[in-house]
Amino acid sequence: MRTTFQDELDLLEATLQEEGALVLRALRGAINALEQRDHELADEVISFDDDVDARYVQIEEGIQSLLARQTPVASDLRLVLAILHVNLHLERMADYCVTIAKLSKLVPEVDPGPRFVEGFEEMGSRCEEMIRVALDSFGDRDLEGAEGLVDLDELIDRANRRVVERILELGEDPAMREYGLRMVVVSRALERIGDHAVDIGEQTAYLLTAEFREFTDASHPQPREA
Amino acid sequence: MTPGTRTDTIPIDVAPVEIAQQRKAPLPEVRDVVFDVQSLSATYGTTTAISDVSLDVYRNLITAVIGPSGCGKSTFIRCLNRMNDLVPGAKIDGKVLYHGEDLYGDGVDPVEVRRRIGMVFQRPNPFPKSIYDNVAWGPRVLGMRKGIDERVEKALRGAALWDEVKDRLKKSGLSLSGGQQQRLCIARAIAIEPEVLLLDEPASALDPIATSSIEELMHDLKREYTLVIVTHNMQQAARVADLTAFFSLDVEDGRRSGVLVEYDTTEKVFTNPADKRTEDYVTGRFG
Repeated sequence: MRTTFQDELDLLEATLQEEGALVLRALRGAINALEQRDHELADEVISFDDDVDARYVQIEEGIQSLLARQTPVASDLRLVLAILHVNLHLERMADYCVTIAKLSKLVPEVDPGPRFVEGFEEMGSRCEEMIRVALDSFGDRDLEGAEGLVDLDELIDRANRRVVERILELGEDPAMREYGLRMVVVSRALERIGDHAVDIGEQTAYLLTAEFREFTDASHPQPREA
Repeated sequence: MTPGTRTDTIPIDVAPVEIAQQRKAPLPEVRDVVFDVQSLSATYGTTTAISDVSLDVYRNLITAVIGPSGCGKSTFIRCLNRMNDLVPGAKIDGKVLYHGEDLYGDGVDPVEVRRRIGMVFQRPNPFPKSIYDNVAWGPRVLGMRKGIDERVEKALRGAALWDEVKDRLKKSGLSLSGGQQQRLCIARAIAIEPEVLLLDEPASALDPIATSSIEELMHDLKREYTLVIVTHNMQQAARVADLTAFFSLDVEDGRRSGVLVEYDTTEKVFTNPADKRTEDYVTGRFG
């Protein structure tokens, strides 16, 4: 038994889960900053990204070292490659949180009504759930849980479409239009976070089945089975 | 056992690296079977070395045999050219068909078998003779006296040694470095124009640079020869072999014997092995 090697693999995976927990905190902070128009909190979220980046680099370096020294094969190789990809997806998610935090500082002082806040709260909560499911199914090697991310993503996509419809109803007022424009980007960022969670689910499936496959294929859409 | 599919021919789904290396000459879709090993068992006295091994070896591919110590890897390849005949008490059951002909059938000359199926051993073992004579000895013994100089040169070129020794052919083979001596042994083996080369841990006594040159040589040799290599070094198998056979030790009623666990493309064995015993071995979790 290669205990040192196994310890290194365990450490990589633990750091990945830690990075995931940081992304969850960044996301909650970004949504709260947006809803409460809290610029101080937004700044915290922006600087907090350094913590995520530090984990990202630590994992990258760990993988580089592991590949160079231990030449993992079979399920170990798949785990290392999956961690490499999941690491990137988590880092991207954190970048989207920064985008949301920055935009929350740029919105003009307008009152678009409570439906927007509710819409972003719904999308944010769904993203949090997806990140949790993605991380748990990866950690638990749970294929069914990973594949279930597609359904959760569909709910975010629908919420995104609703937010866009509401933005189109904001009217001609320039301040409102600027608000709407910025909120389209926020909505898109949340929608992309959901997509990255699905991508993490695909890495779980690869780890377990050794097959690369996309859960959904936008270029070749297939009707889902009932 | 046939790798992947259970037919006499396999689709060529070798590693991408391999495909890239051979891009200039596309591989045919199917391969000829050189060895068809059927339920092969080998015993030494009361000890069973390998039990019920069935697999096919394909022309112009490198087949690696890996597994823990004592699992019968060397015994297996020694059965492929009747080298075990020389071991007192050795007994074979089952069949080894070479191009459909039973190697252990009546009237088969073991010397002719070993001419067609050459072998290179773990430690380079050149004769205490000149480099030239080391290579020329086999052809001379077999009566291949015509064009002997050309034959020696061709064999030394084939073993990627010619440029290093062409100016000192009369020097002793023992004056060469370990890696050169091993290539000299390969030249000696190919001088008699075998079809198959069996390599039993050919690089285990060599340093990394000499190992690398032997591995490169193997890639070149497979254009003309069929190679079967036994190796303890899994990364070497992963680097050089098209197909990999994993042998393990089976314990039944307190008796241990080597069994073939899995045989597939090297890529499959090292990315997604089908058997947990293979997975445990290649990932280092064996035992």
